[in-house]
Amino acid sequence: MIRAEAIEFTYPNGFRALQGLDFHIKAGEFVALIGENGAGKTTLLKLLGGLLKPTAGRLLVGGLDTARVRAVELARRVGFLFQNPDHQLFLPTVREELAFGPKNLGLKGQALEERVAEAAAAVGLTPYLEVNPRQLSKGQRQRVALASILAMEPEVLVLDEPTTGQDYREALEIMTIVQKLHRQGHTVLCVTHDMEMVARFADRALVLGAGELLLDGPLATVFAREDILAATGLLPPQAVQLARPYWEAGLLPGVLTVEELYEAIITALRGEKDARQVLPA
Amino acid sequence: MPARSFLHELNPLTKIAWSLAVITVAFVFQQPLPLLGLWASVLAVALAGKVLKEILPAIRGLLIFAAIFILFQIFLIQEGNTVFTLLPGSGFGRVTDVGLTACTMLALRMLAMTSTIPVLLATTPPKDMIVAFVEKLRVPYVYALMLVTSLRFIPTLQEELGLIIQAQRARACDLESRNIFRRLRAIVPLALPLLLMSVQRARTMAISMETRGFGAGPRTSLRTSTFQTLDLGVIAGCLFLTAALVIIALR
Repeated sequence: MIRAEAIEFTYPNGFRALQGLDFHIKAGEFVALIGENGAGKTTLLKLLGGLLKPTAGRLLVGGLDTARVRAVELARRVGFLFQNPDHQLFLPTVREELAFGPKNLGLKGQALEERVAEAAAAVGLTPYLEVNPRQLSKGQRQRVALASILAMEPEVLVLDEPTTGQDYREALEIMTIVQKLHRQGHTVLCVTHDMEMVARFADRALVLGAGELLLDGPLATVFAREDILAATGLLPPQAVQLARPYWEAGLLPGVLTVEELYEAIITALRGEKDARQVLPA
Repeated sequence: MPARSFLHELNPLTKIAWSLAVITVAFVFQQPLPLLGLWASVLAVALAGKVLKEILPAIRGLLIFAAIFILFQIFLIQEGNTVFTLLPGSGFGRVTDVGLTACTMLALRMLAMTSTIPVLLATTPPKDMIVAFVEKLRVPYVYALMLVTSLRFIPTLQEELGLIIQAQRARACDLESRNIFRRLRAIVPLALPLLLMSVQRARTMAISMETRGFGAGPRTSLRTSTFQTLDLGVIAGCLFLTAALVIIALR
């Protein structure tokens, strides 16, 4: 679905944000893009959305060369959710806001109405269709922005820190929606600083540091390389850190989330899966 | 301000006095050559203050502006002898010697006058400018702050606009349409978020200033604005030179 061939990007001011990345993301993957601030995560996302063009190398999305296709064309395939929803919300009601993208793609009448209704339902905003987006909470506005992208029915969802500035419940809600979309077949690429969210939702992680791809692989492999993660200012999730010595000693299997750790401990203690019932919660 | 020089040491008002002196001299001379000299003197001051390289982009912009200015004016002056015509024999696009001199004079005058502004801005921290205005010229602090803050926010707004453009392009908003009406309509999805965010930013800023005691009472500055011997010397020099040049020009 997404293929990067030695892509580089240098900003007009001379800053080399990306220095030769190679990777391949298959259709239907859920990939987390992690790394410290300034590592090039947002730049990479913008290249995917065709908002910036690589200064060297090739970036293909669904067979389209992002350097050749106009951003408007690419918008059909790649849905880009920005960090701050306020950069895009400008219409008086949620309904009109959701209709803006598909309208730009040429949809009208019944088809347009259906798209809007579907997108609103997908993020749980159906009761808010006639409300002014500016009156909603930050988390709700982020969901409006996400729905406005969904209404364009892109195959790839590119999310730039979709959970910033939201409380745990709101963040979990939006990530659950993203997970649901992923299960429906969307390819997801998500930038986040929240390792717990990565562990809980992604299948694979790309680790960026100073414009280079430091790690690329399944979460368990990536989180095992604490040395490389530390180089770009990252720590594995607490559950992984906690379980690591026991895993190395062969006492516990590899775990990613608190739930998995709990399951593993119970099993290890009682040697049977149903032990949870006899132990106090 | 990384590059320290005598220009950086001067009181902002001294630099404004110099700027006014240059403007006065630029108006009394009517020939291109002295005006060229005047412009050269402004650039020489920038060089001495080690900011010439820094202000070159601004100077380049002013040069483009001057060129456009000449282009618009030069064909309108019909007096004097023909130097050349754009379409020979037709009389269309006639350029005369009088027109050429007048346009060069006007362009150089504009250049000399406006080139002092980037020099002033490059050598003066905005904060010093506020203090000088408030303490020496008795400008109310709020007005001085408004002026400097609005200048300060231009790059921030540009950055914000860049993000908004990208966000709307990602929603298939066609900003490069050939159709002029469509293009005008495409301003709305850009202008509205920018406006709304600016209002919000202004509110946040007002609150954050109030929480830090803005407007709580008489205001004092950490560094006060002072005139040193150098300032007095420069102002006296500017006055003397301006007077001398005015007398020479008008005689």
